[in-house]
Amino acid sequence: MTEFFELLELAAVQRAAFALLLGAVALPIIGVVIIGLDIMPVRFAMMHIALLGIAVGLLTGLDPLLCAVVACGLSGAGLTPLARSRSGLSGAMGLLMSLAIAAALLVLSISGVNASAAFELLWGSILATKTGDVVLLGALAVLVPALFAWRRGQLALLLHDRELAACSGVPVNRLTLVLLVLVAIAIAGAIRLTGALLVDALTLLPALAARRLAQSLTGMAVWAVGIGVVVNLAGFALALLLDQPPGPVLVLLAGAVALAAHFLPERRTPAWQSASSSH
Amino acid sequence: MLVETTGLPVRLAGVSCAHGGRTVVRDVSLDVAAGQRVALTGTNGSGKTTLLRAVLGLHAAARGVIEVGRREARTSADWTRRRREIAWIPQRQAAGRFPLLVDELLASGGAPERARAAAAELGVGELGRQPVHTLSGGQLQRAYLARALGCVEAGAGVLLADEPTAALDFEGQAAVAGLLAGLPVTVMVVTHDRAVVQRCERVFEMAAGALREIT
Repeated sequence: MTEFFELLELAAVQRAAFALLLGAVALPIIGVVIIGLDIMPVRFAMMHIALLGIAVGLLTGLDPLLCAVVACGLSGAGLTPLARSRSGLSGAMGLLMSLAIAAALLVLSISGVNASAAFELLWGSILATKTGDVVLLGALAVLVPALFAWRRGQLALLLHDRELAACSGVPVNRLTLVLLVLVAIAIAGAIRLTGALLVDALTLLPALAARRLAQSLTGMAVWAVGIGVVVNLAGFALALLLDQPPGPVLVLLAGAVALAAHFLPERRTPAWQSASSSH
Repeated sequence: MLVETTGLPVRLAGVSCAHGGRTVVRDVSLDVAAGQRVALTGTNGSGKTTLLRAVLGLHAAARGVIEVGRREARTSADWTRRRREIAWIPQRQAAGRFPLLVDELLASGGAPERARAAAAELGVGELGRQPVHTLSGGQLQRAYLARALGCVEAGAGVLLADEPTAALDFEGQAAVAGLLAGLPVTVMVVTHDRAVVQRCERVFEMAAGALREIT
């Protein structure tokens, strides 16, 4: 236990904990948006595109994570027209994932850089969190909740039904564009914390747990952020105590919470959820 | 008693719509005067719903001229204005994947207070904090009707209603038929309900995508 408290005094550990705390404010709300827009495949595609961005960064000498954020942001914006229908994204995502990973491997091969540097980001390195990562997560921690508070009514309509939103004066295309760009940037920003492969721990799993507990969009967002804060801090502390990599520990803890929420008694499950699952 | 109308005229000229290469609305032309009530009847799949959705711009593959208030919609801003001018009661009320409270649905019409008052009059005033998916079909239809009345209060000049009484009991059907007849807007209603048809000034029948006036 003494070692644990000694670890907490290290600047890298403190920076990582702060980054996880900031991430817990924005990323679970992004998870809520991912579920609401029904764009689960997009996050997979973004992980691959982030790798392509990192490869380009290694080739050009630019900050790899910055390149990943830009690549993801541009891809998110480009996907907006496809988000008009649920089927529009699924096929395109398969194509995008394959092209992105192939292009990333080709860029790494041509540039002659060590591919392991790029693939390290697939697994994350939370203790290597840099000031730039904290700034990005801090910006997201302000932007995402602010957008949510500012456009809550419009978001609730858009995530519920795109046509109802359009008929209610919601600028659906513009709002979808903003959301997809935010989703893409958030996923790229979360990669340093848990790695591309485990980014769901910070985004989707708290939102999935919150979906079982809340009756409204606002309730979901509040639950998701609350679960995110607890899981991120507790998971990180547990990883330090057990001397294990934080990424997998965070995923397992977040997964356990989502699973526990799933097994809550039926009376606590909102009726809309069972209704939607039958469609 | 004469009701002062704030309705807008609707004009369709040579409107055709297709679903996946199959034409479901064929060369439909129709002039509806401001404040007029028009019933669209016909068999399932004859194109009634598609025609109403085309007026709202929800059916992308529509050709021909569609004017509301003597204006076509071409740009995104035009469509935003068009949708503000129209109160819409869809046939299948949004079965979205996400929770939406009844209060949020009512507020989306632009006049939350009026919509809440209408919801109370229609017997669903106590359900404001419930997610819409927890409502029965009839309750949901009443909530959408209350929202539409809010839209009218907010300035909509046309009501497009797609089978607005389909999920209601007999008493509810009669009440809604009377309510639609008293609205000071242009009404185009798809219906199989005689009480609603009887309160419309013009009745059309759609068959295989073609429209003809029957009364």
